[in-house]
Amino acid sequence: MSKGFASNYRIVVLAVGIFLCLGGVGTRLVFLHVIDRDVLVRYIDKARRQIIPDKARRGDILDARGNVLATSRSLVVIWADPQVVRKEDEAKWPELAALLDLPLVELQKVLNTKTKARSAQSDDENVEDDDHDIRWAKLKENVSEETYDKITALKIKGIGGDRTYCRTYPNNQLAAHIIGYVNKEGVPASGIEHYVDFYLRGQDGWRESEKDGRQREMAQFRTREVPAANGFSVKLSLDVTIQHIIEREMEEIAKQFNPAHASIIVSEAQSGFILGMSVYPTFNLNEFNTSPMEAQKNFAISDQIDPGSTFKIVAVAGALNEGLVSLEDRFDCAQEYVDYNGRHLHLMRDDNDVPRTHPLSVAEIVCHSSNHGAALLAMKLGDKKFYDYVCAFGFGEKAGFPVSGEISGDINPPSKWSGIDITRIPAGYSVSATPLQIHYAMATIASGGELWRPQVIREIQDATGERIYRFERSARRRVLNSAAAEKMARALVGVVTDGTGQKAAIAGYQVAGKTGTAQKLIGGHYSDDHHVTSFVGFFPASQPDIVISVVVDDPKVPRVNAWGSFVAAPSFKRIGEQLIQYRGIKPVTEVSRPLVALGGGHL
Amino acid sequence: MKNDRHAFVNQLLVYTLVMICFTGSIGLGTVWLRNQMAQTANSVKSFEARTAEIERRLAETSAMIAAEQSPDALIRRNSEWRLGLTAPDFRTQIVRISENPIDRLMAKRSRDLYSPQPTVQPVKFVLGAAH
Repeated sequence: MSKGFASNYRIVVLAVGIFLCLGGVGTRLVFLHVIDRDVLVRYIDKARRQIIPDKARRGDILDARGNVLATSRSLVVIWADPQVVRKEDEAKWPELAALLDLPLVELQKVLNTKTKARSAQSDDENVEDDDHDIRWAKLKENVSEETYDKITALKIKGIGGDRTYCRTYPNNQLAAHIIGYVNKEGVPASGIEHYVDFYLRGQDGWRESEKDGRQREMAQFRTREVPAANGFSVKLSLDVTIQHIIEREMEEIAKQFNPAHASIIVSEAQSGFILGMSVYPTFNLNEFNTSPMEAQKNFAISDQIDPGSTFKIVAVAGALNEGLVSLEDRFDCAQEYVDYNGRHLHLMRDDNDVPRTHPLSVAEIVCHSSNHGAALLAMKLGDKKFYDYVCAFGFGEKAGFPVSGEISGDINPPSKWSGIDITRIPAGYSVSATPLQIHYAMATIASGGELWRPQVIREIQDATGERIYRFERSARRRVLNSAAAEKMARALVGVVTDGTGQKAAIAGYQVAGKTGTAQKLIGGHYSDDHHVTSFVGFFPASQPDIVISVVVDDPKVPRVNAWGSFVAAPSFKRIGEQLIQYRGIKPVTEVSRPLVALGGGHL
Repeated sequence: MKNDRHAFVNQLLVYTLVMICFTGSIGLGTVWLRNQMAQTANSVKSFEARTAEIERRLAETSAMIAAEQSPDALIRRNSEWRLGLTAPDFRTQIVRISENPIDRLMAKRSRDLYSPQPTVQPVKFVLGAAH
């Protein structure tokens, strides 16, 4: 074997050199990985590791036909780092100011302010320097992606943007009280936004990663990742077109009568789902912060009114349901006093339109809205039974409307009634109810005797539009048997054909409904100048499709016109006519009056 | 004996060099792999960012479309573009037939077949007549 280049001396030197190097590296590794490990790991964690949140997109709120009522729009918050802004970019500032729609002076002030004085109340005694550098200053929020692209194209160093999702309501004030809004802090404050926030908000995700010296994520060092789960979409039973129809009608009411409040509710007769709910005054959801709280209150569920004559359906339907009377039975409604339970009671005055020439049939009592007749029917039922029917129709309890703020109204039990309450309550006085309760009481007749739960949410959908859950119609209880409901509906048709609600009549259709006019209780006395007027009804009467209620609180009209028949019934008619063509509602019975178009056309 | 030791040392040196080269190539390979991983991760990151951007733009476009489809916006456009669109009038534009429509259509068809003149006059369209 050859001797080679290695000698003993060289081998020893080389070996010692290698081992010294390895020993040095090993020692350093021991220091790094064992002795100083905790300190270094903490430092690295602080300097490099980061948790990056991944915001979930809030789900949309849709109407029954899939139109978007509330959605999340991507917007950008534009910021500046004054420490990084360069003088050579100053020529681009006017263009930037124009894009941001900011005065140039204001932009210059932000970009040139490099430091900020510490707070005077700072309790940190060791702070020697009174100023600190500003590294982030907001220039503008809610900037669109399109504008942000233009800003980025300017390539101004030190100007950046953070993307965020902002809630927007494409239809502005449409159905504002139902939809509700998410406030500036991202907290759902009211309406459906609040009620189904659990479904809408989704689940934020996050990922654990590391960043480099320029604060950029080093994606290869991602360790754990939880993807964001976007929120579900909520499909409502509301229909944008129906909502628009009733809101336009509400504008007319506001213009014509300047009421304190008003509400219009439209619901499906056979399911109780709400198709539209308009409340006056209203507000723009995109400008909720500038609208007064009074306008944000949902009058239809949060205010109680004396229902007036619309309440008469309770006594009449109760008596029919108990089989105590038929529609043909007659009562002497001309009498001023009546003896009841050993007391001699004075009946409420009837309007001049109520015939006094003959005893009125039950159908005529409804048709002419006789206070005397309603009281006599309630007396026939008796205090307890009548009170049971009042409760069964949903008065005095919350209807379970999914939007917060609902009140239960006010009806005392018979033990707390005064002597004359049995003559007042059947006519809709000494009882308070919300417009929603009045609406669903009438809907009970339309449904054939079942009291529906007021529902506005049809289904929950995932991000791909797949149905997660569907809400079905839900009855709270059966109030009347179907025969009694049918008789009641026939009596209510008489109101529109021959009685107080003739202005609600729709040519070619059988409309059933009831007018209501109640004097307002002001300063402990019923006022002659302030009224609550209403009309609640449904059609077609024999196969009801929709229920409509119009309630106008304190319309500014001459006393002679302060009636539900004058204020509310025409609105019912106009809404009904538009819904007939929109929903394709066919008349059930043969056309009773010749229509204009019957003479034309060639079919 | 001495030659054997030298041979052993030479072999040791050669093996050491081979080991160093081997270890070095493993190290370089690891670096290359990590670089590839970084590139792939960055590529995935950029795809994610692109997807997120598209989703954001989609959300913005959807919001704009929804706003343009709102009843108020449609009414405004109808007025601005002078389209003259109005809601149909159910009283004058919908004809209710009380008799059996099949019999009626049969009779109408028979009239058309046997009549020298068509019973139905062609409809004359006057576009833009609404305004």
